[in-house]
Amino acid sequence: MQNSLNIRLKYSFNNNTIRDFFINNQGFLFILPSLILFFVFVLYPIYYILQSSLLDWSGVGTQTFVGFKNYIEIFTQDRAFRLAMRNCLYWTFLTIFPQMFIGFILAYALNTNLPGRNVFRAVFYMPAIISPVVIGIVWTRIYNPFNGLLSDLGFATGLEFLTKPYLSDPKIAIFSVIAVNVWQWTGWSMLMYLAGLQGIPDELMGAASLDGANLFQRIRYIVWPMLNHVHKTLILLGVIGTLQTFTLIFSMTKGGPNHATEMLPFYIFKQGFELQSMGYASALSVILLVLALTLSLFQVLVLGSRFSLYD
Amino acid sequence: MKSKINLWKTGGFAVVMIWALVWLVPVIIMLTVSFMPPDQRAAKFGGLLIKNISLENYLTVFKDAPILRYFLNSIIITFPTVFFVVLFSSLAAFAFSRLNFFFKEVWFYLILLTLMLPIPTLIIPIFQINKSLGLYNSYLGLILPYTALGIPFSIIILRSFFEGFPRDIEDAARIDGCNAFGIYWRIIMPVSWPVLSVVIIWQFMTSWNEFLLALVIIKDVQLKPLTLVPLIYSGQFMARPGAMFAVLTLITIPIVIVYVLMQRYFVSGMTSGALKG
Repeated sequence: MQNSLNIRLKYSFNNNTIRDFFINNQGFLFILPSLILFFVFVLYPIYYILQSSLLDWSGVGTQTFVGFKNYIEIFTQDRAFRLAMRNCLYWTFLTIFPQMFIGFILAYALNTNLPGRNVFRAVFYMPAIISPVVIGIVWTRIYNPFNGLLSDLGFATGLEFLTKPYLSDPKIAIFSVIAVNVWQWTGWSMLMYLAGLQGIPDELMGAASLDGANLFQRIRYIVWPMLNHVHKTLILLGVIGTLQTFTLIFSMTKGGPNHATEMLPFYIFKQGFELQSMGYASALSVILLVLALTLSLFQVLVLGSRFSLYD
Repeated sequence: MKSKINLWKTGGFAVVMIWALVWLVPVIIMLTVSFMPPDQRAAKFGGLLIKNISLENYLTVFKDAPILRYFLNSIIITFPTVFFVVLFSSLAAFAFSRLNFFFKEVWFYLILLTLMLPIPTLIIPIFQINKSLGLYNSYLGLILPYTALGIPFSIIILRSFFEGFPRDIEDAARIDGCNAFGIYWRIIMPVSWPVLSVVIIWQFMTSWNEFLLALVIIKDVQLKPLTLVPLIYSGQFMARPGAMFAVLTLITIPIVIVYVLMQRYFVSGMTSGALKG
């Protein structure tokens, strides 16, 4: 709290406690609109999925209470679910860390007096603002084994690995989609690191190089540790982003081939809106919710991660 | 020594330049395929090198697809969302930063909870809620959830900004008889432009490109926003990649323009907050 006239005014009208309550808690009115929206579209939905995950329900017809049957089926019989969880793991590690690594290098390079750095900055961030549907369709064409960019390049240069069926081979499909995601969001990591780098005083770097530290040592011992809050924020946002991945899967593979690129959000959508199993989809939603909450709370409470650089 | 440094610098610049060009390849392909003459079935190198340029794809698109209609839909959905997010979250951020009321901490952490929830978790209940409220297949059916989901992030950013604000002017105003809302409206808000622009741009970009909720909530084709357009025409233009890519280019242009115009404010807004203290 700053040193100033921090007057905590408590009004009292005739010592009328009810009136006092309303006058002193005016602030509540300020948050009321946000709170109402929160209750309707966040809190009630959570209750809703908890309750409807215990039902066998197609969304329109009768609802039958079945207890934990949905959950048991998910954990014991559902191959698609298992693949989705495996893909979540791949996605988390193979998108977050490459994006951080490449983003940091770009940010460091653009933090100098490089000519045209604003243009470069815009170029690298641009994929993040293009609609993922557009990106999915364009990259599907790039990956096309018949006349896509990569296969044409492969035939022209003789490099065979470029001609693989990237999206139809169950073994590599998920990695192909992951690569697209890395292309799309590395610019975001770059922007965050740029913001973080601005907070590192130049004198520190100057003093270090006077002491004999070369570039790599300066980065490793000064710059990188000073960016810890950025690392943590990127990981936190990255985990949540992974668990929200829908559009890219929808526009590139639809979960195929044979569930090889299945991700939980897309699976929820498919079960709820295409296969008409709302109860089952609700159970999946609950599992996704618990997963996201656990991972996020762990990071925020234990690791001290923050959602933005501002906190 | 000097020439050694210059070699590093030129080399570094060249590397970044090449990298940027490679990075742009997918975008370039989107453009070149859209300019491909329609009778040419497959372009070499997936579209990177083409022989002739023709605008015929765009003419086809404008004839067969009411792009303007979808563009207007996106605007009708996004603009109110941004407006409400700015309004409600700034009020709330001000209250969390400057005022006191019962359970203040509880409400704050509850609202923060929203940030940890993946949106796909909520699509089924929001779908059902919208149906019960009669908002299914309507603009409001998207505006309200978008607002609800966009407020928490804005509250965090705005609140941190407000916290760093000196209280002297505010105390002086209070002594002069200004009430809480007056302080909010006349003192804090006019000076908050840098942060507000970050919120505006961020919320605009998030809502404009949002796909999942739009897919679930909007059924009538004439209400669909731009993000859903490729889906509408994927069947019609399946054998005509040129036309499809013309559609893709057209729906990318608005947001690229907004981004190019606003990126200065966006980046400076982000970096100004990062300088702690």
